Formats: sequence, C-alpha cells, structure tokens
Amino acid sequence: MFHVSFRYIFGIPPLILVLLPVASSDCDIEGKDGKEYQNVLMISIDELGEFIRTERNLDSSPGLNTRFTDSMIEIDSNCLNNESNFFKKHSCDDNKEPLFLNRAARKMRQFLKMNISEDFNLHLARVSQGTLKLLNCTTKGKGRKPPSLGEAQPTKNLEENKSLKEQKKQNDLCFLKILLQKIKTCWNKILRDAKEH
Amino acid sequence: MTILGTALGMVFYLLQVVSGESGYAQNGDFEDAELDDYSFSCYSQLEVDGPQHLLSCAFEDPDVNSTNLEFEICEGLLEVKCLNFSKTQETYFIKTKKFLLIGDSTICVKLGGKHITCQKLNIVKRVKPEAPFDVKVIYREEANEFVVTFNTSHLQKKYVKDLLHEVVYRLEKNENDWMHVNISSTKLTLLQRKLQPNAMYEIKVRSIPNTNYFEGFWSEWSPSSHFRTPENNSGKMDPVLLIISIVSFFSVALMVILACVLWKKRIKPIVWPSLPDHKKTLEQLCKKPKKNLNVSFNPESFLDCQIHKVDGIQARDEAEAFLQDTFPPQLDDSEKQRLGGGVQGLNWPSQHAVITPKTFGGESPLRCLSGSVTVCDVPVIPSSRPPDCREGGKNGPHVYQGLLLGAGTTNSTLPHLFPFQSGILTLNPAVQGQPLFTSLGSSQEEAYVTMSSFYQNQ
Repeated sequence: MFHVSFRYIFGIPPLILVLLPVASSDCDIEGKDGKEYQNVLMISIDELGEFIRTERNLDSSPGLNTRFTDSMIEIDSNCLNNESNFFKKHSCDDNKEPLFLNRAARKMRQFLKMNISEDFNLHLARVSQGTLKLLNCTTKGKGRKPPSLGEAQPTKNLEENKSLKEQKKQNDLCFLKILLQKIKTCWNKILRDAKEH
Repeated sequence: MTILGTALGMVFYLLQVVSGESGYAQNGDFEDAELDDYSFSCYSQLEVDGPQHLLSCAFEDPDVNSTNLEFEICEGLLEVKCLNFSKTQETYFIKTKKFLLIGDSTICVKLGGKHITCQKLNIVKRVKPEAPFDVKVIYREEANEFVVTFNTSHLQKKYVKDLLHEVVYRLEKNENDWMHVNISSTKLTLLQRKLQPNAMYEIKVRSIPNTNYFEGFWSEWSPSSHFRTPENNSGKMDPVLLIISIVSFFSVALMVILACVLWKKRIKPIVWPSLPDHKKTLEQLCKKPKKNLNVSFNPESFLDCQIHKVDGIQARDEAEAFLQDTFPPQLDDSEKQRLGGGVQGLNWPSQHAVITPKTFGGESPLRCLSGSVTVCDVPVIPSSRPPDCREGGKNGPHVYQGLLLGAGTTNSTLPHLFPFQSGILTLNPAVQGQPLFTSLGSSQEEAYVTMSSFYQNQ
C-alpha cells in the first residue's frame, strides 16, 4: 500500500509539471496589425506558390494549376489525397493559432533541403523565420533540429530511385503547398480577430 | 578566517577599481578610438538589383580615419547570423538577398575584429527609393494644360511599391522660386493659365516611401526636364468667334447711337408719354410775344399793314354758330359789319374743333368775356412764316400768328384760340384796311374754348 501511495504522490505531480508547458501556448504575436504579414510574409508565400506551380508543371502531369489568392488557394486534384498526418494533428483552431503557426513554421524548415533554387530557399526561410519572429514563442523546442522529411529508402536500381525521388518531390511540394495555404488562412484569422477586438 | 576573507575582498575590490580606471586599455588604439566620433548613418535600397537589396552606411564625421575600420551587420538576416560590409571610398555597403525585412538588425563598427560602436536599426525604416527618371512634359492645346509624366523602377518592385512623389518646377530665370506638388501617381497636370506665357520652365521629381510599413528618406532628384509655355492665347481667337464679336459690337454701338438720336422724338413719347400739363400748356400758349411782333389793338399801329378781308376760311358750322353767338349785338354796328365781313369768310380749319364753353382745370378759360371788350394777350406761336405787317400786299393766304379775341379781363391767360400753324386763312385781298378783330367790343358772353382743342391746335 505504501508503494502505491508513493507512486501517486511523487509520480503524478512532476508529470503534470512537465506536461503543462507543452499544453500551454507561450507565444506572443507581435504582428497583429498585419503590417509585417501583408508587406513581407505574404509576398514570400506568393512567390513560393509560383515556384511550386512552376516545379510541378515541369515535373508532373498537367493538372489544374494552383493559384495563391488572398483568401484561398485552389488545390489541384493531385494534392487532394495527400492529407498528411501533420494536418490531422495540428490545425488553426481557436486560441491555438500561435501554436499552429509555430509548428508550421518549424515544419517548413525541412523543405530547405529540397534545394529547388536559392530564391526558393530564401523565401522559404523568410516565411519560416519571419513567422517565428513575430510569434515570439518561448517553447522549449526552439533549438531542435528540423525533422527530416523521411528516411532514405534503400535503392534497388537507378530508375526506381529516380522515380521514387520524383514522387517524393511531388509529395513534398503538395504538402508544402497545403502548408502554405494553411499558414495564410491562419494569419488571416488572427488579423481578423485582432480587428474585431 | 574573517581576516582572510576581508583581505581577499579588498584585493579583488582594488583590482576592479584599477582595471576600471584604465578602461581595459591594452594598447593605445582604444584610447584614441574613444575620442573619435564613430557615429554613422545608413540607408537601404530594396530590390535595387533584381532581388538583391543594398544597405549603405557612412560615418557622419568625414574626418574619421576609416582605414582599418569595418562594418558588420547581425540579426535580421536569413540563413546566416552576420554579414560584413564592403567598402568603397568612404562608404560601406552590402548587397544581398538575405535581409529578413522583419525586426531590427545590429550594425557594428569593428576595428581589429572588435566592436567599437554598434547601432540597432530596422532596415525597412531606412528605405531610400531610387530616383525617378524619364520626366516628360506634353502640351495639350485643346485643354490648355501641360501633362507631366515620369517613370520609376518601383512600379515593378514587390516590396516598396507605393511611393509619394514630389514634383517641383520653376521659371528658369527665378533661381529658388520652386513650386511644389505632391502626388502618389506618376502623372501630373499643370494648367496653362497658372503658368506664365512664353516662358521656359524647369521641372524635376523625387520620391519617398508612402506605406504604413516601409519608411525612409527622399530619393535623389530626377534629371531635370525643360519646357516652354506658348504665347498668350487671349489675342488669338477663333476667326468665327472674332467675326461674331465684331459684328455684335458694332450692332450694339449702332443701337446705342440710334437710341440717343431718336430718344427725344420717337422713343421717349412711346416709352414715357407726356401727359398734358395744363399749366404748362397755358403758359406756353400765353407766353410773351416776340420782340419784333407788333401786338396792339390800336388800329393806328396797323396803318402800314395791309389788311385783307378774310373770307375763305373753312370752318365748321358749330364754329360759325359760335361766332355768331359769341359776337352778339353788344358789338357796335360798325364792328358787326366788320366782324361779319371778316368772319364771313372765316373758315375754321378742320382741325380746330368745336369751340364749346368748357372749363379746363376748373377754371374758365375765357375770363376776358365779362362785358367789356378787351384784348387778351395773344400768345405767340412761332411759325415758319412769321408775319411781318410791313411786308404786306401779297395775295394769297397769310398766316396769322395770333387772333385777337376776348371780351373782358381774365385772370388766367387765354389760350390761343386759333393757332395758325395748322390752319391757313385764305384772305380776300380785295378787302383791305379793315381791321378784323381790332376790338370785339364788349361781349357779355364768354368764348368757351376747350383746352383739348388748344392742345390739339398746339
């Protein structure tokens, strides 16, 4: 009996203390007036959309083109089925906008390895770094390395490897496109809420 | 232990004080560096070379020895932590795409790898746009205005797109008298009437960021452009308009002249008809005769005149009856004969209407008929042929200026009964020397004359 009580007394409170920072949002959004987002971030997001469209038109079969508009992005049929687990776990819910943007900005870093072009990487970095700077979050995971896109598959032959790489690139571009759309939507939601209040 | 601790504390304290006074100067360079003013200023130009941005810094004191000095920027960069500036003459610059454009950056002056002075600034708040170019001035004759257009490279940029442009222009002969106009577009209209005619003007443009996020400084002035205003167009008119204006002017002048000339005779009687003023009419009728008019009832004064019997006058029946009535038996027989002879042929002009006893203005016009025959003043009516008794001897009609009439005194002037301007008496030249109306004798009945007949006769 004593073992059981000690477990509950000395085990659970520390667990609660550890989990509290994870559950709470420590982000303080600075750019709520929308100046930084409209004059810098939105330009880079649109430029990235152009890059993605260009890359996908060059690599993949012709489909409906994506156009980045202010309110929503038209996603072609090839990307519809690519609903990653990331979006299932994270969404721009009420009172969770900073958290979502924080995670999305960190997620974008992994696409730097795609090396599409220097300008592409710069715009990607501007969106990611700019968002994080505006959020001014104090989460512990600040210094973590960006997660990798995936483990390298053992290649069987060159053709299969090439095809797999292309497929992976398309999937990544699809994911990035959706991610940028979600980021844009979430920023618009934050600015709209800021205007109402 | 206590003493040992105190001693160690004092040693450390002394070390700190001594090192503080010396200022960590390990060589003389730092001492010299603290005396110089290394303050600097920077400006940025975004997308100046494609996607690349430019950041330029320079010392505010031109006498600073910048031989071994370097500039470094940290924070606010993409993918890197810090970047070093390049140097050209006395200016330090960096051209890169790696500006985050969000938040502050730190720019430090380094000497030998060590920071001398640092400054925190926001790159987007120190934007200096590129100078406008291609300033053109086009004259639109149909609208009498000058259209100024210019170009700027910021129209194709992504970040600093909205600018405020300042357009200044002046007369070339006026050195510092610039006119300022601020616009947000690249087109300006200048009205010709606000410019001096036939003059040479100079015009130039500069820009500054006009957004709520990007701020900064005025750009350099654009190259000046010159234009000349046309001569005064007020003298040049459309030929048709000129002809119409001349014709209308002369028409108006002619109408004015005609109005002045015909005012008294034609226009005024219609516009402002004169009402008969009886007093004035009486005065006019009974005004004094001319000097040379011999008015007298003394027959001896007419001895030189040829008196002709009047027997050819056209008159109305009423008038004859009137005369017969007005000259009753009061008259002497001789006078009657004379009168009868005279009146016999007296034909009243048709214009001379019925002479009826009427009062005018409440007064009896004939006051002279009060029993004794007297002579009333005979008004003199000017005529084209003033009778001169001395002429005499002529056959044919004579115009009598006055008619002697009246019996008795009158308080008012007697209006002229028979004005002869419109009536001509035909006289019987055979009858001469017979005074016609030298005296009417005493007439008890008044001669009633209407004022209206006087007015008409007048």
